[in-house]
Amino acid sequence: MPETQGFDEAFDAAGTPRRHYHALISLLESFTQDEVERRERLQRVSLVDQGVTFTVYGEKDGLERIFPFDFVPRIIPADEWARIEAGLVQRVTTLNLFIADVYGEQKCLKDGVIPPELVLSRAEYKRQLLGVVPPRQVFTHVVGTDLIRDDAGVYRVLEDNCRCPSGVSYVLENRSLLHRVFPELFRHSPVRPVKDYPLLLRETLVRAAPRAGDNPTVVVLSPGLFNSAFFEHSFLAREMGAVLVEGRDLIVEDNHVFMRTTRGRQRVDVIYRRIDDDFLDPLTFRRDSLLGVPGLINAYREGNVGIANAPGAGVADDKAVYAFMPALVRYYLGEDALLPQVDTYVGFRRDDFAYMREHLSELVVKTTGDSGGYGMLMGPFASKRELDAYGAQMRRNPAGYVAQPLVQLSAHPTYIDGSFRARRIDLRPFVLYGDRARVLPGGLTRVALREGSYVVNSSQGGGSKDTWVLAPRGA
Amino acid sequence: MLSRVADALYWLGRYVERSENLTRILLVTDDISTEAQGLDESLAQAAWKDLLAIFPAAQLTRDTPPYAPLALPYLLAFFADPRNHYSVSYCLRRARENARAVREALTLEVFVSLNETHHALEKWERKPPGDVPGLRDALTDTHRGVFSIVGAIAHTLPRDEGWKFLRLGEAIERLYRSACVLRVKLPALLGPAPVGDVPLHHAQWRTLLRSLASLEHFRRTYGARLEPDAVVPFLVLEAESPRSLRHGADTVERYVAALAGPQDSVTRLVGRLASELRYADAGTVGADGVTGFLDSVVDQTAKIHDAIDARFFVT
Repeated sequence: MPETQGFDEAFDAAGTPRRHYHALISLLESFTQDEVERRERLQRVSLVDQGVTFTVYGEKDGLERIFPFDFVPRIIPADEWARIEAGLVQRVTTLNLFIADVYGEQKCLKDGVIPPELVLSRAEYKRQLLGVVPPRQVFTHVVGTDLIRDDAGVYRVLEDNCRCPSGVSYVLENRSLLHRVFPELFRHSPVRPVKDYPLLLRETLVRAAPRAGDNPTVVVLSPGLFNSAFFEHSFLAREMGAVLVEGRDLIVEDNHVFMRTTRGRQRVDVIYRRIDDDFLDPLTFRRDSLLGVPGLINAYREGNVGIANAPGAGVADDKAVYAFMPALVRYYLGEDALLPQVDTYVGFRRDDFAYMREHLSELVVKTTGDSGGYGMLMGPFASKRELDAYGAQMRRNPAGYVAQPLVQLSAHPTYIDGSFRARRIDLRPFVLYGDRARVLPGGLTRVALREGSYVVNSSQGGGSKDTWVLAPRGA
Repeated sequence: MLSRVADALYWLGRYVERSENLTRILLVTDDISTEAQGLDESLAQAAWKDLLAIFPAAQLTRDTPPYAPLALPYLLAFFADPRNHYSVSYCLRRARENARAVREALTLEVFVSLNETHHALEKWERKPPGDVPGLRDALTDTHRGVFSIVGAIAHTLPRDEGWKFLRLGEAIERLYRSACVLRVKLPALLGPAPVGDVPLHHAQWRTLLRSLASLEHFRRTYGARLEPDAVVPFLVLEAESPRSLRHGADTVERYVAALAGPQDSVTRLVGRLASELRYADAGTVGADGVTGFLDSVVDQTAKIHDAIDARFFVT
């Protein structure tokens, strides 16, 4: 098993703190052990009492866990952030143009930028929506793009989430929590605020309304209490002053969407949906879905309701499409991609697939449809038997797989059992697209709390940190 | 507001009120049972068995050792037994589930107080105290927790439609449960001769007043004497007592009027019950007719609940 530390966010090779970590580290060193422990306890109790929880699947239903919070903040200097921000704006702009294209004229397919089979055969490509143009031609209202830092400290895109990326509520809650338990840390650091996010999200959603008017009715559509991200759905509805609805609260009549209220039916203009495409409308997609609203897609197609993100947008965060992103940026914007990504072999290409089979034990292999770490093979950590079984499975459907070399995640000091240890982290910034792409200055830094682990997912022992984007000096 | 949200707020109100009533009645019943057990064990037994009639679908699911105090199986079943749908812990869990589902309609203060009380109770549930003093201690803590929830509701929620549904649920639960308590307790108390000796008889009347959180108020109004002719009309008709049936029906009527139109069937049902209680003659309530009268109040309240459900929640 390859074991290197990866890029260290806080210390250079000689072990001295990097410049933007100086203040934080000397401050943390000034606390006594008892003081740190006392603050950590405060922080934990606060999370439990406020019900900042997620639900774990596969255990007794409704089991709530807190998402562990590590108080050592991750710091991103202003110039570094400026580069990330520009890269994300470019990327999300491209994703949006790509989706508009594949549901419109399909020029990128005709011009051979990306093989048509690769796009049109995906389950995420909804042919029912061909030719449907949402208000302002925006498909990707909210995007969460996962970034990692390689051994050289270069930020690379790991994947885009164009359907309903979650985690932003923790960005806001983590900041509040750190303000409360470690106010001292903010004394000498110009940390850019994140609390405007709900306001910006609301503005973004209001722009998605199909009919004119100052005050469209915006709702957040959640699968309900037992969904793992329910806390976030409720949090965002609350913070935006929007109505939180479930599928059963909505009804479609004459291709218009209404909600059932104590005073009869009320028209709905924009739905911020936190349900996957397949469950949105049992009449159009999955018939067995109880979460969705029968007739919703027809209402959308008729232009009577805005849906964010637009149904069908998932085609853009497909893992095979990812491999073509640099080419798509060049095609739509005439620019080189500002953010590099991870080299990707696409099983769809004969040569790539041959390479994948030969080097399986060195690669991380993913199925194109799944997300959240499901259906994945970590070649360097797998046994001979696992490799053989996975290889056999791959041969049955080469186009369903992509592979990447194992990329180290960067490491960051994290408070574990009474001392500071290096643990691996990633970063999910959030991009809103109302009339143009805007990036929230911050993001969700997830941390693998287990030593040596690469898995930062909340369901598998991951935690999170506050993410500080520093304001430029003198600004 | 969304029908589903109104429904959840209504039940939040009902469950918080129910857990308060339960906690209080448990503590009060334990007092009378301790006081009476050596003198008249059947009376102490009856006091506990009454709980099963006041909370009709309640169940005792746990076995207790044969020499355990009389109170123990009841306290265990009605405090921290998650399988009993009328245990304090069950009610608080349901209250919290309703609150969690409509978190956006509440305030942080309400949610935090619910969480704190619920989490404290969960600890008891995992390891319930084995003796009566320990259980009383836990009950008292929970009672205080419930009051912090009620306080957070009163101090922080906006007086909007959601608030009205929450308070309507609370008022319905209180009216219904108070009528049940009276219906179960009064027949034995109003029987021909005092059961047992006179001080014990008085203790039972005091217990009834305390069960409905009205003893202090009653004493301020009538002094220390405990005449049935004063107590029963006080608990049924007193306009200023927050637990009297009349006050309960008035409260229900006020919230229904704020939510429904004058022609709605729920408005008419509530109006009928409220005026019946408002204009009732103390004589008819105090005498033999009281059982039939209370049956009618319980029945009408249940119908009002059904009408609310049909009018607002099933749309």
